[in-house]
Amino acid sequence: MNSLRIAYGKRQFTLTFMATIHEVMSDTPTRDDDQLLPDGDSIDQPSADTPSRGYTDEQKYQIFNKEFMPHIDSMYNFAFRLTTDEDDANDLVQDTYLKAFRFISSFEQGTNAKAWLFRILKNSFINDYRKKSKEPAKVDYQDVETTYNSEDAEAEHTVDLRAESVSDLIGDEVATALNSLPVDFRTVIILCDIEGFTYEEMAKILDIPIGTVRSRLHRARNLLKEKLRDYASSMGYNEENED
Amino acid sequence: MQTSLPSSSSSNAKPEMKEHCSHRKDCLKMIQLILDGEATDQQLARLKVNLESCQPCIEMYHLEKEVKELLTKRMEKRCCPEQLVATIKSKILRFS
Repeated sequence: MNSLRIAYGKRQFTLTFMATIHEVMSDTPTRDDDQLLPDGDSIDQPSADTPSRGYTDEQKYQIFNKEFMPHIDSMYNFAFRLTTDEDDANDLVQDTYLKAFRFISSFEQGTNAKAWLFRILKNSFINDYRKKSKEPAKVDYQDVETTYNSEDAEAEHTVDLRAESVSDLIGDEVATALNSLPVDFRTVIILCDIEGFTYEEMAKILDIPIGTVRSRLHRARNLLKEKLRDYASSMGYNEENED
Repeated sequence: MQTSLPSSSSSNAKPEMKEHCSHRKDCLKMIQLILDGEATDQQLARLKVNLESCQPCIEMYHLEKEVKELLTKRMEKRCCPEQLVATIKSKILRFS
């Protein structure tokens, strides 16, 4: 035991200490992930109170044009990043906007239209596209999460990568790395880093607790950094000047 | 242990720079909260201290910042095709 402690002294110390810290911070996500992906078209009930607003036709078109249409480029980008296919992205955006118009009475004028639209798009993607998508969906979020929750992952939580190693990567390489992540991880990174949503907005868009947003984002970034590290080292950016 | 001393050249005035961080995972989480604009004032103050005294935290901070900037600035942003905008608008008009 003693010799073990000498050999792995640093790591053992690290692990025990981290466990204590973790208890103190107690920001472990709530594990209610089974309600992650509601099967129903949950956009029909955006919140507990869904007063049907009696908009006139004129008001409907006004809301649609003034509050929904300005987000169409963001929506298209989101759709394209989710589906990684132009035709699918087209269909997804169109379906989403038509749905948004159909359910416009459950949208409260002047509230966060972008988050509302993103939520519809995300649900449409899950319900209509994900099933038929050819992406290797076998890598299920739950599996990946389990892997990253294991002890080994705890020990290796920080990816060994330097800022200088990734600073020369170009957009295409970043996009490829991002696209190689399982869709749930990709989604939180898109919403947070590309679209700039707050954690609270993301929780609403994804129908998950904020704690889960935080932890999923954390894991997503670790995965992304691993991919970026692979890129960087294959490009020879990774110097090995360990002193 | 101390084979390499990075920046502590001669001045004793500066606080000792930590070579190892014993709670990297929590520091990393905190750094991400801060870069995402979701941190409390207390967490911000803690990071400030760490960035003056903890080498691993400094490196993690720069890496996280760099990765976030890659995503915000270097990814190609597409415009929605005009044709799609036109289609949506015409379908909407035929609705009610």
